[in-house]
Amino acid sequence: MAGVAEAVSKMPPPVPAVKKKRSLPGTPDPEAEVIALSPRTLLATNRFLCEICGKGFQRDQNLQLHRRGHNLPWRLKQRSGDRAAPRKRVYVCPEPSCVHHNPGRALGDLTGIKKHYCRKHGEKKWKCEKCSKKYAVQSDWKAHAKTCGTREYRCDCGVLFSRRDSFITHRAFCDALAEETARVTNAASIAGSPDYLLLQQGLNANPNAFPHLTPPTQFKPNAANINQFLDMGLVAGASTLYGDLIGSNPRRFDWMQSNKFQLSTSEFTTSALPTASSSNSAVDLSASAPALFAAASLHHPPAPDMSATALLQKAAQVGVTSSMGFAGSFEPSPYRCQSTADGSKFDGVLFSQNHASMLKDFLGGETRDFLGVGVGLQSLCHSSVDGWI
Amino acid sequence: MQNPPPPITSARQLDLDLDPLLSVEPAKPWAADLLRDCARAFADKDSANLHRLLWMLNELASPYGDCEQRLAYAFLQALFCRATASGDHCYSTSLAVAERAVSFASARRLALKFQEAAPWSTFGHVAANGALLQALDGEPALHIVDVSDTFCTQWPTLLEALASRADADAPRVRLTVVSSTAAGVVAEIGARIEKFARLMGVPLEFRAIAAPALPRLADALRPEKLELREGEAVAVNCVGALRRAGCGDSRDSFLRAAAALRPRVLTVVEDEADFGAAGEFMESFEECLRFYGSYFEMLEESFPATCNERLALERECFRSLVGLLACEGGADAVVDGERRERGRQWCRRLERCGFETFGISDDVIDDLKALLKRYRPGWSLLPAEGETSGMYLTWKENPVVWACAWKPK
Repeated sequence: MAGVAEAVSKMPPPVPAVKKKRSLPGTPDPEAEVIALSPRTLLATNRFLCEICGKGFQRDQNLQLHRRGHNLPWRLKQRSGDRAAPRKRVYVCPEPSCVHHNPGRALGDLTGIKKHYCRKHGEKKWKCEKCSKKYAVQSDWKAHAKTCGTREYRCDCGVLFSRRDSFITHRAFCDALAEETARVTNAASIAGSPDYLLLQQGLNANPNAFPHLTPPTQFKPNAANINQFLDMGLVAGASTLYGDLIGSNPRRFDWMQSNKFQLSTSEFTTSALPTASSSNSAVDLSASAPALFAAASLHHPPAPDMSATALLQKAAQVGVTSSMGFAGSFEPSPYRCQSTADGSKFDGVLFSQNHASMLKDFLGGETRDFLGVGVGLQSLCHSSVDGWI
Repeated sequence: MQNPPPPITSARQLDLDLDPLLSVEPAKPWAADLLRDCARAFADKDSANLHRLLWMLNELASPYGDCEQRLAYAFLQALFCRATASGDHCYSTSLAVAERAVSFASARRLALKFQEAAPWSTFGHVAANGALLQALDGEPALHIVDVSDTFCTQWPTLLEALASRADADAPRVRLTVVSSTAAGVVAEIGARIEKFARLMGVPLEFRAIAAPALPRLADALRPEKLELREGEAVAVNCVGALRRAGCGDSRDSFLRAAAALRPRVLTVVEDEADFGAAGEFMESFEECLRFYGSYFEMLEESFPATCNERLALERECFRSLVGLLACEGGADAVVDGERRERGRQWCRRLERCGFETFGISDDVIDDLKALLKRYRPGWSLLPAEGETSGMYLTWKENPVVWACAWKPK
């Protein structure tokens, strides 16, 4: 056909394929054609339509694959209107307040502008079940779901967390945080502090001062191992907690910067090392010592020469034959100071020995748990006008 | 005088079936029935019965046993105090001992361990923080008045959320804490949270006010006391604190003082229980049994078998039960701080005092659901219905904690 031959003969000589260089990000080609697509277009998922059957596709490649199935004649296989090499296109965001609304900051990629618009200005329809983080772009959501919950966080003090909220709350009050200040102020006076384990980071401190101490295996951020610090906490998944922090919030980088430039050594007190949860149990129980002590006093082992039956008998007899009867009250009443047999008042402790002996007397003399010298009941019991016996 | 009853020679005569109690597996729940019998003996002034029941209780109870034994032990202390009219003294003494013994390290360990084990406290934190973020969105200067005794464990996650808002710089935050925690401990907490906020990139100013003695808690909310500044958005956060504002009218005064500050939001978290002073002993006893039975069971299933933190939490319940069952209270006594109200009762109070509901977004609900998924099964979220607003945390289908957000009308 003449037309074809004409077209062929006019074809320019083949030139070696020049790979399109990616321009620097944020600097669109000044010769490019600026396209402003509407929000509807940008959010539309199936904008590539087949002109034969009207079916919509997300990508041009998929549409072309589909069109082959229609067995079109050769001529119509080319997309009409696709003659000349199109001008380079760049796309601006329709949202006026957006930084990419300015043609100087236009994006060069159609998929890019679509994703941008969706992420920034679109409705966040996709939500992570585990952490409720929301995403507008489904692929972003899927990528997150793969790593959510698999990440682990390690505090400077060595404890590992699988939950981010626990990690944050712990970190806020952790001794390791407080120690950062301590490290700065103690930098000058390290040599004479045998109370601390020192991690030698290769600067000023004397490595031979404490040869018997082994450095802990945790990393402390400093110039030498800042990368290791970045990797800390990474188990599975693409990003680290710190990566997120740096990426999304450059101002917070000073958290790590300050660590980097402050101290070369770190101190570990023994309390900062990971310990079993039952450590320091003695300290914990200090508040409750009276109650526990009372508990102990309430549960004395029985005297060996008394059988259970005999004790029951005794309890019933002694309690009932007391002429004073029930010493207590059925209603709560305002504070009355109860005297015990020896006349002393309650010492300021809940369930002290006095209290325990009161329980014993109240229950009618020697019970299984309250063995001791029998205490006269008369000094204990108040006679009440409405005595029930 | 009556003839003394014949001496008891066998357990059968005590009319007690000890076999189920002494068998090994599986143990039937026994504590509730025994405790109810004790309460009835009190109500009927039946001292013979009371004697033997308390004796039984003493035999079976133990602070180190299973949750039935621990619950029995807790009630035993309270009932004993009631019987010996020593409730008020016991309560105030126990409180003084606990306050003296608290240290930053012990408080931190307890609070954080509890948060790890169960969402009892974190539920309220997440709900309140969600409402705060919603109400204070876009404000450049915030002033949060925290009336609670949570040792500021609520705030790190809020600070982190404020810092990671992608679309805005973190606001300047003032945190004024009104608490009854010892001054030294609060100072340490404040120093650490200020430092943490600095690392997060959130400018934070921390200030502590010692909670005034009842009934003057409302005084803490006077504008001059809080040193309010121009241009700052105020929010009031009350976690387990409304009930400590005295009883009855004093609670209303506190709420009115809060309304007068015109906060953007008032966040309230309270235990879901009705321990009103008025009413029959048997009714309030039954409610104590329901609430603390649930609580002790929850502790048993959430913590490992031997755990000091669990013991410490149970010990706080001993004191609460003494306060509820063995003290008269009233007239804004300290013990009135134990008199919890249900969500629907708080709702009526809040509406009366000039507040209306602040609706929280679905995002916060989703955050709460996601939170509960991070714990063992048994917990769920139940939105309040009808005239009551807010949400409940439920343990085995029973509502145990209520959280709600309000704003001045």
